[in-house]
Amino acid sequence: MTSTATIPTGRRRTIDPGLRRKRRREALRNLAFLSPWLIGVSVFFLYPLISTVYFSFMRYDGFTAPTWTGLKNWQYVFTDYPFFWPALRNTLWLVVVMVTLRVIFGLGIGLLITKVKTGAGLFRTAFYLPYLAPPVAATMAFAFLLNPGTGPVNNILARIGLPQPGWFNDPAWSKPALTMLALWGIGDLMVIFMASLLDVPQEQYEAASLDGAGPWQRFRYVTLPNISPIVLFAVVTGVIQTMQYYTQPLVAGKVASGVIGGSGQQFEPGYPDKSTLTLPQLVYHLGFQRFDTGGACVIALVLFALAMVFTALLMRRGSGFLATND
Amino acid sequence: MTLSRAQRANIQHSRLTAAPIRLTAAGRAARRTKTLEWIGVHSLAIAAALFFVLPFVFVFLTAVMSDQQALTRDLWPNSWHWENLRTVWETPGFLTWWKNTLIYAGLGTALTLLSSIPVAYALARFKFRGRNFALMLVISTMMLPPQVVIVPMYLFWAKQLHLSGTLWPLIIPMAFTDAFSVFLLRQFLLTIPKDYVDAAKVDGCGDFRALVRIVLPMAKPAIAAVALFQFFYCWNDYFGPQIYASENPAAWTLSYGLESFKGAHHTNWNLTMAATLLVLAPVIILFFFAQKAFIEGVTLTGVKG
Amino acid sequence: MPGFNRALLATAAVALLATACTGTSSAPQASDDATKDVTITFWHGWSAPSEVAAINANIKAFEAKHPNIHVKAVGNINDDKIKQALRAGGPNAPDVVSSFTTDNVGTFCASNVFSDLKPFLDKSSVDLDKTFPKALQDYTQFEGKRCTLPLLNDAYGLYYNKDAFKAAGITAPPKTLSEFDAAAKLLTKVKGDSFSQLGFMPNFHGYESTTTHFAAQWNATYFTADGKSNLAADPAFAKMLTWQKNLVGSLGGFAKLEKYRASFGDEWGAKNPFHTGQVAMALDGEWRLGMAKEAGVKFDIGVAPFPVPDDQADSYGKGYLSGTIIGIPSTSQKQNAAWELVKYMTTDTDAVVSFANAIHNVPSTLDALKSPELDADPSFRTFLEIAQHPKSSTTPASPNGGAYQLTLQDFAFAYESGAHESGKVTDVAAGLARTDQQIDKDLAQAK
Repeated sequence: MTSTATIPTGRRRTIDPGLRRKRRREALRNLAFLSPWLIGVSVFFLYPLISTVYFSFMRYDGFTAPTWTGLKNWQYVFTDYPFFWPALRNTLWLVVVMVTLRVIFGLGIGLLITKVKTGAGLFRTAFYLPYLAPPVAATMAFAFLLNPGTGPVNNILARIGLPQPGWFNDPAWSKPALTMLALWGIGDLMVIFMASLLDVPQEQYEAASLDGAGPWQRFRYVTLPNISPIVLFAVVTGVIQTMQYYTQPLVAGKVASGVIGGSGQQFEPGYPDKSTLTLPQLVYHLGFQRFDTGGACVIALVLFALAMVFTALLMRRGSGFLATND
Repeated sequence: MTLSRAQRANIQHSRLTAAPIRLTAAGRAARRTKTLEWIGVHSLAIAAALFFVLPFVFVFLTAVMSDQQALTRDLWPNSWHWENLRTVWETPGFLTWWKNTLIYAGLGTALTLLSSIPVAYALARFKFRGRNFALMLVISTMMLPPQVVIVPMYLFWAKQLHLSGTLWPLIIPMAFTDAFSVFLLRQFLLTIPKDYVDAAKVDGCGDFRALVRIVLPMAKPAIAAVALFQFFYCWNDYFGPQIYASENPAAWTLSYGLESFKGAHHTNWNLTMAATLLVLAPVIILFFFAQKAFIEGVTLTGVKG
Repeated sequence: MPGFNRALLATAAVALLATACTGTSSAPQASDDATKDVTITFWHGWSAPSEVAAINANIKAFEAKHPNIHVKAVGNINDDKIKQALRAGGPNAPDVVSSFTTDNVGTFCASNVFSDLKPFLDKSSVDLDKTFPKALQDYTQFEGKRCTLPLLNDAYGLYYNKDAFKAAGITAPPKTLSEFDAAAKLLTKVKGDSFSQLGFMPNFHGYESTTTHFAAQWNATYFTADGKSNLAADPAFAKMLTWQKNLVGSLGGFAKLEKYRASFGDEWGAKNPFHTGQVAMALDGEWRLGMAKEAGVKFDIGVAPFPVPDDQADSYGKGYLSGTIIGIPSTSQKQNAAWELVKYMTTDTDAVVSFANAIHNVPSTLDALKSPELDADPSFRTFLEIAQHPKSSTTPASPNGGAYQLTLQDFAFAYESGAHESGKVTDVAAGLARTDQQIDKDLAQAK
């Protein structure tokens, strides 16, 4: 922020021309450096956002010219579209269960890896590798592994004598199966937790144990406070990722239902029984399969609102993010 | 249970002098606990490792099974059909998917870096009115699900510019920065002391030259991290190619092609798993070569953020 | 800082301007010269190697007759991609498109996505009634607008494993549904908590065992005269759903059947459950004959019309009909040349017969149906008869394509499994009424 120089009265109007030139040079320089972003944010963010709002009030199928329909699309999505509320419920489930489990599991694995003495490098690689698997490949692998009839997992469960759930073919088990897939790819959380756990000052541990604190108390009073910013970061990014959760549930549903396209089946969003539906999938369904541009834009705006709410929460809690050191 | 200072000093001393440790009763108990802890930790680690590694193993085993056997519950192949991998590799289009994915990821990463570095630098070092607002905007776009803006964007690319059926609608926007890369770079650039640049400016160096000559070499880890992240984002992207490239098989990427593989090839699990393996493999190989950069990169996002 | 503010204003202006740029490119008139050298792009949905070879042969024959028109064929294109490409328009859009489903004829005709074919038909003096069977004419037009033509026909019937029949002591294929249910039960062999052979897979996810295919055996009416959903009013749907649920129960229950279904191989591959003997009977289209032979199936394949409800026994011989449709996108710049290809593929008797023989589909023209060149396999003839049966039916077109079928299917899934994400589903009548409401709402949204 340019500081207003306190110029002695009587000389306020006369600014040193050198200063004016410098300011102009600076302004041009700022513009030059920022120009890619300025263009990017206006063409690829502001413009489509305004467009989305605009289209949410129109009826447009992509072929005939758009016509104004007012709140009809909004009313349809919120009251008549049978996939909307299940998708919202699923998102809530995923945020509460999947994000929580991921954070806890990530912390646990991170903790474990800091304690491993022999072969730490090997274990770390093994734990991290699944994170690198492309989502489509990973989902197909899990859809195969968890195939209720021929998959290895149920095969092993049968041999031990445990019940074999329907996994991706059973509405009650499809989201837990997706959660398992998410836990498999815990590598990124593992690494940041590991790094932050190693950053906790050793003296604090020693001081605590001198005071007679046991392992659980040390964790609670030394470890947790030190890593809480990372925990918050993991939670927030987890929620953001859940907002965008698209590929895994879509591919899992497609593969599990066996619908390829060209057979007598209609593609069923959220197989089985709407249990894997998420809002991003609905944007695709309405916008690119039903050609209801207006309805798709309504859902897009709901998605946007949810994402912004969480961004605002992040701003409030983690204002350290904006560290302005100068 | 941790050892007391006395006990630790004891052991330290004995290590230095190579004299046998005189263990007290408490010392022996501590040793026992330590061993138990070692066993406990490593058992857990092995169990966890099984969870993480077994899926890869099963994918591999199924990939080399015969058609018949892939349909059964068997875990171990009766006969090893390595030709499945060949069959998948020779599927019409497979090499095209490779090529397209490489172009998308490579070009996208390069363009992202070129555009995001100056912006990140400006946000870190330059003072201007609206800088906080700009930063908040960057963070907002970081959190933005792509589906929010996809409908009008698709109409724009497809109807206005007739670029659907190609990957250009995905590559071109990367020439205009990627929010996550900008944010990450900015956070890192903040940690570089200003003195270096100030000294250079005193010598008459312009801002841009200062950025390129002085700051960039110091920012290598962050740049490597951002490059890796962006590369993998493009490599793994399914939604983007599904929207823009699906109508033109010549533009398909590995992710989209793999998902369509079942439909295009009318195959069984063994070939599908072989295809999955071939999509997983390059990522894993790249990881082994770039391990350090990877881990550093992920750490940068979490810890510095 | 002034520069920044100015930039902000400029971007706002750009945004507002860009918002105004929507609208469609107006469809060009068919003004191209079909005698000049030209290349047209033809999108189709076939992907199995034998089918692709067949259509390429068909195209080669066309190119031989019209040396100035070169056809670039692209396969494995499903309806989603077609709709997307047509929406985008531009130089990459195809000039001729064929689709497996008749569902989207409604959308394509109503919103002028496909060109009106009447002027082309008149120009080439094609008499529709003399060329195509009535049913095929019906499903290729919508509310009087003809924007597609039939390209080969599909008829659905009952496939049965003759060897399994012999082993179970069944001498003739079932004609009524009660005979069918009995046969299915007889042919089912339980093994542990699964099956070694299942008489029939009735679950609605079981490939072609779908609500619409079954409903055709009752000649159910989907819409009233003024376009409202008719599922609750027509007792046929309730009867169909109840029959299916009873069959599911008598064969082992939904969960057990679903688990077995998860072990089925790919529908279009060599390991189709009917090929492997996992099911002894299947409802499928006429293409299954050719595919089974190619897969080297060892048992004797029997073909018959699918059984009819007991109270409609005299309509035995009917079945569900569908077919590939072909049309010319209205954004094409080469419509006259495109028409030559369409005309050849749909009306040239030799072309239709050889293509039908090659991919084992039912031919779509009256002349082709009578042609002596047609595959003489008696099993295949059965399908020809089903296709020509007066009571054979198809699913009607609608402005939002197959959405109503999806809604009905959704309810059927809930009903067969007894569960729904919002609670148990046991009341068929109430469920169908709710489904009607949903379909009507979706149609209202599409208008």
